[in-house]
Amino acid sequence: MEDVSNTIKREVETGVLEKVGEVTAAINSAKHVDQVICALHSLASLLFPLDSSLLSGIIDQRYRDEILSTKAPSANERGDWWQAFYRGPAFSTLARILLLDVASNWLACFPLSARKHVYDIFFVNGPAAKVVQTLIPCLQHDGSDGIDVNAVHSNTERLVVLCLLENNGVLQISGEFGISCQFKDSTDECLKQTLSRVAQLVASIPDKARLRAPISLSSHSFFKQITIQLLSGAEERASTLSDKAATFNKSEIDGSLLFTGEIFSRICRRGSSDVLLSELVPRVLRHVRGFLLSSSDAALSDVFQSNPGSEVWLKLMQAVKDPYAGERMSEQLLHQLAIERVSDIEAYWTLWLLFNQIFNHQMSIRSLFVDKFLLWKVFPVCCLRWILQFSVFKCPPDADPLLKEHDTHGFLDTVQRLVAVWSKREFVQSAPMEQQAYVTAAVGLCLEKMSKEDLDKTKDVMHSILQGVSCRLESPTDLVRKMASCIALMFSKVIDPTNPLYLDDSCTEDTIDWEFGLSTPEKRTLSTSTFTEKNLKETKTSLTFVPKEGPNCKLNDGIDNNVKSRKKKLSDFKSIDPDEIIDPATFNYESVSDQDDDNASEDSDCSSDSLQPYDLSDDDNDLKRNFSQLVDVVGALRKSDDADGVERALDVAEKLVRASPDELTHVAGDLVRTLVQVRCSDLAVEGEEESAEEKRQRALVSLLVTCPFESLDTLNKLLYSPNIDVSQRIMILDVMTEAALELTNSKSMKPKHQTKAIISTISETQPWFLPSSIGPPGASTWKEVSETGTLLNWSNCYERELPPKSSEIKRGKTRRWSLKSVNMQESQMEWSHNKFPLYAAAFMLPAMEGFDKKRHGVDLLGRDFIVLGKLIYMLGICIKCASLHPEASAMAPALLDMLRSREVCHHKEAYVRRAVLFAASCVLAALHPSYIASALTEGNLELSNGLEWVRTWALHVADSDTDRECYMMAMSCLQLHAQMALQTSRALESPESTIKQNVIGLPSNPSKGTIKIPYLNVEH
Amino acid sequence: MSKRAPPDPLAVLRGHRASVMDVCFHPTEPILLTGSTDGELRIWDTVQHRTVSSSWVHSAAHGIISVACSPLIGTNKVISQGRDGTVKCWDIEDGGLSRNPTLTIRTNSYHFCKLSLVKKPYASAKQAEGPTHESERKSRETVDTERLHDSRGEATGSEIECSTNQEDDTHSEGAKYVAVSGEQNSEVEIWDLNTAERFARLSQNCSTGFPNISTKGRGMCMAIQAYLPSKSQGFINVLAGYEDGSMLLWDVRNPGIPLTAVKFHLEPVLSLCIDRSCNGGISGAADQKIVMYNLDHSTGSCLIKKETNLERPGISGTSIRPDDKIAATAGWDHRVRIYNYHKGNPLAVLKYHHSTCNAVSFAADCKLMASASEDTTIALWELYPPQT
Repeated sequence: MEDVSNTIKREVETGVLEKVGEVTAAINSAKHVDQVICALHSLASLLFPLDSSLLSGIIDQRYRDEILSTKAPSANERGDWWQAFYRGPAFSTLARILLLDVASNWLACFPLSARKHVYDIFFVNGPAAKVVQTLIPCLQHDGSDGIDVNAVHSNTERLVVLCLLENNGVLQISGEFGISCQFKDSTDECLKQTLSRVAQLVASIPDKARLRAPISLSSHSFFKQITIQLLSGAEERASTLSDKAATFNKSEIDGSLLFTGEIFSRICRRGSSDVLLSELVPRVLRHVRGFLLSSSDAALSDVFQSNPGSEVWLKLMQAVKDPYAGERMSEQLLHQLAIERVSDIEAYWTLWLLFNQIFNHQMSIRSLFVDKFLLWKVFPVCCLRWILQFSVFKCPPDADPLLKEHDTHGFLDTVQRLVAVWSKREFVQSAPMEQQAYVTAAVGLCLEKMSKEDLDKTKDVMHSILQGVSCRLESPTDLVRKMASCIALMFSKVIDPTNPLYLDDSCTEDTIDWEFGLSTPEKRTLSTSTFTEKNLKETKTSLTFVPKEGPNCKLNDGIDNNVKSRKKKLSDFKSIDPDEIIDPATFNYESVSDQDDDNASEDSDCSSDSLQPYDLSDDDNDLKRNFSQLVDVVGALRKSDDADGVERALDVAEKLVRASPDELTHVAGDLVRTLVQVRCSDLAVEGEEESAEEKRQRALVSLLVTCPFESLDTLNKLLYSPNIDVSQRIMILDVMTEAALELTNSKSMKPKHQTKAIISTISETQPWFLPSSIGPPGASTWKEVSETGTLLNWSNCYERELPPKSSEIKRGKTRRWSLKSVNMQESQMEWSHNKFPLYAAAFMLPAMEGFDKKRHGVDLLGRDFIVLGKLIYMLGICIKCASLHPEASAMAPALLDMLRSREVCHHKEAYVRRAVLFAASCVLAALHPSYIASALTEGNLELSNGLEWVRTWALHVADSDTDRECYMMAMSCLQLHAQMALQTSRALESPESTIKQNVIGLPSNPSKGTIKIPYLNVEH
Repeated sequence: MSKRAPPDPLAVLRGHRASVMDVCFHPTEPILLTGSTDGELRIWDTVQHRTVSSSWVHSAAHGIISVACSPLIGTNKVISQGRDGTVKCWDIEDGGLSRNPTLTIRTNSYHFCKLSLVKKPYASAKQAEGPTHESERKSRETVDTERLHDSRGEATGSEIECSTNQEDDTHSEGAKYVAVSGEQNSEVEIWDLNTAERFARLSQNCSTGFPNISTKGRGMCMAIQAYLPSKSQGFINVLAGYEDGSMLLWDVRNPGIPLTAVKFHLEPVLSLCIDRSCNGGISGAADQKIVMYNLDHSTGSCLIKKETNLERPGISGTSIRPDDKIAATAGWDHRVRIYNYHKGNPLAVLKYHHSTCNAVSFAADCKLMASASEDTTIALWELYPPQT
């Protein structure tokens, strides 16, 4: 029997092959399109139930009869032929002819219905998996054998759309695999290979499609459509399976699901997991919500497991074998859920449904959730809650906390790992802020669930937390400190729920914002919307208040008036009241005053006018003992037990110093020392520490400005002395920074030198970097035009006012009695800018000297990194203040030398690195290009090495620093460096010409108010 | 109410080298007498604002407590009181004081209480004089304009007044007395300026039958004002303030029993002043109050008229302008405060001195006021000048 069937089969196969050979020959020898159609029709009619009359209208009379005369085989015969055609090599042979030769030569001439019935039919009605395997390679046919590549490609694309999308080809494929799976063992290697190959081919279609391909083949819409096909197929199958639940093998995954998983992992691999999940999530959510609505009891997990409709979801993630794809999917799932703003319960069950089985069975997934998602990724906080709920607490969020069925062991294990990471100093130093906030939130949420007993069970959680909190509290970043105080609060609640510890006044509210303000954009819009709602409410309430208040006020006024008038009346009646208790004294007083009033009214005509009271306001400022001598101030400041005296001394100190008395130079050192050592916070009244501190700083600044050398001498000694604490060191540096800035901006007026001296000197009295003062008489001095906003200002513009020419005098309505320049007064005065360069060395050199020494209480490179950062910042400001002065060039090499020392520029704290970048940028901006040029020509290696180091280091930081602000700053530093290099190269190229330009260029257009020096201008 | 800023001093007289304790205008001439704690008495020209003369009238170690002059004792006489236990009477010669005091009273009292010359109300003067004088005086008083028609008119007016006062002096001997806190600090002694003899002792320690007058110790006498009430037939009354804040009113005819005792203050009474009509006055103490009171001589009572609470304690000097319109107080808080004497409402807070103010005084023509302060300066002020 088997032999017979085999021989029949073989006969059919040879028949099919012969027929295909005939058709191929006919196509090859065809002279007319109708011949091709006839040949194809003869084959198609053997394979498919075809209505030949449909073709009769469109082809020539000669062939019509031929087509109509072909007899259709019986259904059984057709089935055998179909099987033989597609199982054997016949299909691929014919498909090759069809896709290449026919497509390029004949297909354009095919009538539409002919194309459909004798051409497309071979692909549409074939087994999809087989068709896909033949179709898709043609998408990339290279056209080496002289056929029209474009025609082939576009035709293939058309067929792909037709087969896979319009005819649900992907669903068909998965169905085919499902069926083949039932016959063979699903673990069959061969099947698996085919499966993955087909999946690979299908997923690669968007990559292979040309640019001009239909939009439905673009990766987004293509993946979306095949996802929809697969998911709806899976759901449908689940619903059909639910009827015959018994046949369903629970532990096994059938071929179609396997194929779905394969396709899904390929889609994720190709970076379209968002498309996939946007289809997947609503379906799962619908499923979960349906259950949550229907069943009320707590044992939801059992309900899910017993329901066959859930099976497909329970096994879906199992089918996704690729771990990378699994990770991408779970990540995307969390984000999608966050966007959908699902409730905690829904999210928990969604996660449970999809991941519970593999979470329990697969180590990699477990570590994905417990490690990667908690420590390395950053999700919104709501996602973090779900992750913790699912993977760590392992109970739905609405579960009774008393019935703790989760294994505390795993929970505590996770907490321990989290806290260990959180408490590391390196983590604080190097992790990005979002990461830190996320891990902090994870720790905090875990602590929320912890009890005192749990804490006792763990070994070193308490220790780690304390360590983490303390190292965060030292941080210069406010946010980091806030994290510490939040964790401290949670921790204190674990230890004693009744006695929470508030390290910070600001976080007194019960709920802690674990986002720390670093929320994701979606979240932010949400918060703003709620915010506006709140606002609306507020305005509403206020609106309701306002009209209430209005009449109230009026009422009050009215009442007041009434009361007043009534009082008057009362006083009128007073003397008549018989029950009144009369106090003789008051009686006397009243009578007297009445009498006096009468008197006054009598002689009011002469006295009342003259006795108008003056302003009686009085304050007691002058009553406090005021200091008029600096020595007294010093004395008072030293008496730390007399808080009042110290406060008053601080009040007057700045004024006295600014007056710059003769003895200032002798007292300055003492005064600086006492001011630094005054303990403002101890002395000042509660709440006024700030103002006292400010006064102290201003006094110090004024000292530094009026008497720089003496004050700096003392300050620099104090800076590294072991007797002061970090805050005082920081204060010293702040004060020096401010003083440098003030010195830079100081303006002093001097009577102007008469430039028209009898003997003209070659060297000008003004600084070298200003343009020459040649010009018409009456011109004012050059002033730098500052370009606001930019830190560094390379295009130095100078401007001056020129007197109007006689022809330009405008007649206005106001008459003036002379033709004098309006600003004659000004021109007689000379503004001398920037006194700082004179003191630059005194400011910078001693401060740079001792930063790397570790002494008792002084450890700038290690513990006191904030001081180091401040110091570098101060030095940066200093060099900036000396910008373009020769002093800057003198100080720059030393500063760069300090910056490039390894412990500084590779400091672990981003704070220090930021300061270094700032200072380096300042150096770049402060150096005059001509100086750099001359340094280069003279072979001054120190400077050129330093500048080169700035470039390489900034490159390094921009490449590899973890701190965002650092690499942003490094980028701008590089930009500055490039500008500086450009300027320098210009200065190098034509030193002579620029000088000429400078000299000649100026007087050439004196009529303009503003003259820009050509060689300093840079087009940004 | 206008919110004018309080005025600045018209002039500031500098020259003293120590705290200026007392200040006194000459009744007729435009000169000012001041005494400081180093014993220096200076005479100033209030027109030119210059020192006319300076003399050391008491030893530098003790200094001057008080300087006084009054038309009742003669316009060329100045009384100075030092902490050396003496009261000295000097003649004003042209260009300065006499070399030696015309009279020295050894009171042997060493304290801070300023002496008081006898103040005479206009009313009593009127009564004492003949009807012709009275009408003349009346016309001058009611028509203030006449007095200030021109400077000459004023000068003559003053001269007339002064001459009549001289007459009064001659008529009533009792006016040439000075009241000081006695050797026993709680006593008030009245000395005759002609003979330099003690005329009376007013002791509070005597036993009295009056229930309303407590016999408890009131402590030292801190402030004295002697005056001649209109109905006392030329017998001096003395108002004295004590350390416990009480004030006693005495009649010299009855030195054993005070007429009345009141306690307006909680702290020592530091200064007393009585108005022109001698029917009321003002007192300042070491507490935070200024009290204005009325004196009723018919019943011998003293009643509070107005009590003003201050922000800061300590009134070391009080003065009422001769026209009874305004009163001034000198405070420990460096302020001079001006009050409407009739209504008692504050008019101005004068801030110039930067140390304790010791005394204030008004000129007889009501135009100027002088304040003396520990900061060694005297400030001259022009406040609410009488309308012409």
